[in-house]
Amino acid sequence: MSATLTRPTGTGSPTARRNTRPPAGARLLPKALHFLTFAAPGLLAFLIFVLIPIAMTVRTGFTNRNPANPRTRWVGLLNYTRLLQDSDFTGALKNTLVVTVIVTVAANVLGLAIAQLLARSGWLYNALRSVFFTPVVLSSVVVSVIWQAILTDDGLLNSALRGLGVTHPPGWLSDPDLALYSVAFILTWQVLGFCVVVYLAGLAGVPAELLEAAEIDGANRLARFRHITWPMLAPALTINTVMLLITGFKVYDQVQVVTNGGPGNGTTSTIAFQVVQTTFIGNHIGYGSAMATLMLIIIAAISVLALRVLQRREVTR
Amino acid sequence: MNAGSGPRTPSWVRPIAATFVTAVFFLPLYEVLVNVFKRGQDITAHPVSLPIPPTLASVQQVISRPDHLFWYGLINSVEITAISITVLTVVSAMLGHYLARSAGRWAKAALAVLLCGLMIPPAVILEPITEVLRSLGLMTTIPGLVLVNVGYYVPFGVFVFTGFVKTIPVELEEAAALDGAGRFRIFWQIVFPLLRPASASVLIFLGVWIWNDFLNPLILLGPANGTTVTVGIYRAIGEHQSDFGQVFALMFLATLPILVFYLAFQRHFVKGLTGGATKG
Amino acid sequence: MRSRAMLSALALTAALALSGCVAGASGSGSAQGGGSSGKVTLTFLTFETPNLTAKYWDDAIARASAKVPGVTIKKLVAPSVDRVGYAKQLAASGQLPDIMIAVSPNGFAQAGQLAPWTDGELADFVSPHSNPIGGKVYQLPYNTQPTPLVYYNKSDFAAAGITAPPKTYAALLDDCAKLKAKGINPFVVGGGGKDTWADMYPLIGAVATDTYQQDPDWLSQKAAGKAKFTDPAFTKAVGKVAALAKKGYIGTAGLSRSYAASEQAFRDNKGAMYPMGSWFATSADAKKPSFDVGVFAWPSDDGSLAVPAYTGGGMSVSSKAPNVDLAKKWALAFMLDKTSLDNSVKTDGSIIALKDYTTPSDIGPVYTETLRLYQDAVKQNAIVNAFSVETGDGSMPAGLADKTAAGVADLINGKKSAHQFGSFLDDEWAKASQ
Repeated sequence: MSATLTRPTGTGSPTARRNTRPPAGARLLPKALHFLTFAAPGLLAFLIFVLIPIAMTVRTGFTNRNPANPRTRWVGLLNYTRLLQDSDFTGALKNTLVVTVIVTVAANVLGLAIAQLLARSGWLYNALRSVFFTPVVLSSVVVSVIWQAILTDDGLLNSALRGLGVTHPPGWLSDPDLALYSVAFILTWQVLGFCVVVYLAGLAGVPAELLEAAEIDGANRLARFRHITWPMLAPALTINTVMLLITGFKVYDQVQVVTNGGPGNGTTSTIAFQVVQTTFIGNHIGYGSAMATLMLIIIAAISVLALRVLQRREVTR
Repeated sequence: MNAGSGPRTPSWVRPIAATFVTAVFFLPLYEVLVNVFKRGQDITAHPVSLPIPPTLASVQQVISRPDHLFWYGLINSVEITAISITVLTVVSAMLGHYLARSAGRWAKAALAVLLCGLMIPPAVILEPITEVLRSLGLMTTIPGLVLVNVGYYVPFGVFVFTGFVKTIPVELEEAAALDGAGRFRIFWQIVFPLLRPASASVLIFLGVWIWNDFLNPLILLGPANGTTVTVGIYRAIGEHQSDFGQVFALMFLATLPILVFYLAFQRHFVKGLTGGATKG
Repeated sequence: MRSRAMLSALALTAALALSGCVAGASGSGSAQGGGSSGKVTLTFLTFETPNLTAKYWDDAIARASAKVPGVTIKKLVAPSVDRVGYAKQLAASGQLPDIMIAVSPNGFAQAGQLAPWTDGELADFVSPHSNPIGGKVYQLPYNTQPTPLVYYNKSDFAAAGITAPPKTYAALLDDCAKLKAKGINPFVVGGGGKDTWADMYPLIGAVATDTYQQDPDWLSQKAAGKAKFTDPAFTKAVGKVAALAKKGYIGTAGLSRSYAASEQAFRDNKGAMYPMGSWFATSADAKKPSFDVGVFAWPSDDGSLAVPAYTGGGMSVSSKAPNVDLAKKWALAFMLDKTSLDNSVKTDGSIIALKDYTTPSDIGPVYTETLRLYQDAVKQNAIVNAFSVETGDGSMPAGLADKTAAGVADLINGKKSAHQFGSFLDDEWAKASQ
């Protein structure tokens, strides 16, 4: 895996090169000791509790392991050929992408808009910021339970809509064409505060003199935003996007609590949900492991992309 | 104060708009807050009304349960979270510093692999993790769970710390090295104090994630030892399907410590997360 | 200031770490160190519901332990009502509890993780050989649950001019039309949130009257490859559910309602009929709704009785328990305790399947009516299997019941026809048994 990942990192930036010059103190401790004390503990924990389990999962993915069938044997690529024809898996993959894209776009756009609105000092704005961040601190289960009470067909939202005269309000969770968007919406609500806070920090770094000078030169609001604010927010955008991609790809709790993958077969099932269902409900540990492996490959590809974006950020600075 | 909003918009527009948007966003939380201070039967009847008069009945029911679900959960949660985030901050700060100051492709490769690790849902690799823990004899122990947390969350710590370390001039460390300080002393006396904002963000985020984690304690500590406050919420939902007063109260009590923790650290943590990005 | 706070935080952490290690060590020590002192510690997996509270379990455990000396029980509580999913996760991580209650043995038994019950141990049970796996019984068949019966709102029926519950399917459809004409939703059917399974009851009823009544072993034939879900014998039942949904008698609102929320919806007058397992009877008795509740069996076309039911629900014992014999002895003591059985009747609506058991006299009207209906069915030899609830030989492969429930949601929201539903299930069966 690491071999493929090192490839695109060739475009080392001048900044990075300057920063990564080893300090002169290197001679005082042998390099090996430095590695052992600083790097080894973290890397070792990651190796033992993440990489080795991943390797075991990959290995299991080539077997037919199933607790109800004690004779586990190798089945080669059978699980993978089955996966590509499995509409439950491809559907889950599609759902995961839809949720991830919606959350990434919506939370970035709304986050930036709200950050612009809140980018002032004073107790009022401080308090409002804390409100926005609160859902980030909540557990996904709590968030799911809250929203379930709001979005069910006879929940608080539809009661309010009926009060406003809507006779047939939408079935936010019961309509198979809507439920996935409801899940994406819940997730967006939960992570929005994070984006707001990061964009606020980014906006604080935009020099006010620059904006004032542009205004005197006759630049309108849109032009000032496009040519001054937006480029300076690039790093904040990167951080938000990476975090949102991570959140989107992992989504499991909300699906499990709010829709259980439904209504109907797999309308809101995501990859993580599908893996857990296959492994623990269906007992197909081998097949589920192959699914997990494929998921990891997709994740690795996205990580490479994310890393490229990170490095471009270094270049532009 | 409001110079930036320009002469065209009156100064009262922004605070009103900001308050309104926040209020809409806040509505779901309002639902929880008002219901914590109502009795169970009043919740089904009037879910959105204000709790007048407010009552602590539901909260009292939760904290005085005969099986001490909340208190045992609280002790477990505090213990697991405190130990894990302390170890994680130390380990990932050192690894982050090491990788940020290392030239060469392998350091970047290591970063890339770590970044992949951030995106793995824990449920997906839980079963092999239990096999690893059993072979190490650490299954159903607190050290075992802490080590798993360290392994799983170290990428996030590294992600934050490498970004931040790069904003600290390397000359500072070079000067100290010329004065004869060892790597350990340089890191702990000079670099680590400068990383405070980054440490704050790592502590907060990992604190929140580990506090809210449900599956790992339940499986890795085992059903007999692994009840945390977050597990308690699940259980309460099953047990009080028809009395949501206790569920809301438990949600509120379970969230309170981590919310206070966040509010205590919030001044630093944004800078930590974006410090590397926005300076410069 | 700040550094002092930091230091005290560190000290606190260190202290906690230390106490954690001590607690962890003592915890694991007591679990194993039973043998020498003559005391065995056994773990027992329970789950909590509004009826089965922590106190309910603690009291029942204490009574059983009083009868079996030498056993210390460590109660485990599943984090949600889905104790089967949790038991599977525990099994996968090598922590299968020694004793479990109401955990379907499917999957565990085939993997050799459970100890079979002997005929001698099953002597007190009415149907000792229900749901065998490889010919052996792994779960004590201590109660029978008719699943579903149709509970109905007597006020709604009266308002629609319906004088008696329907005896035939045609009469049921008539009654639905009458209710609908009065603006009353005929059915409340759940299936939202994580409780997708709750949408199954109309189908279980229809399969009982249209498939199993004619051919009680139909599912075994499917398992043996001799029948298909697309066969008319099965699609006829499915078609009935699809038609009920299409006419608006089963609404889509239920697809967003959790199990608890759908019971609440029935109580809140959101529908006249609530097809549900017999356990609803005690719920209706314990917390009476604002109306009287009646009950009838899902009607067949010709009016003959067919009541789907499942017998089981009792204890299973891990084959790797520290002392299997003692674990079995304790499990039997728990199961056969008269007080516990009475409580099970009163709180969970169990119909006890033990010889020599007499139902307590202080039971409520809905339970009494449910019990009478069940006893009639037994007399008429009209008990059939409850589709998708069956376990053991010839039942569905693991995971298929969940798929069926998901498919029913598609029937209700009109995404699948009866035939599409059948071929979907055939495909999923093939996938699940691969």
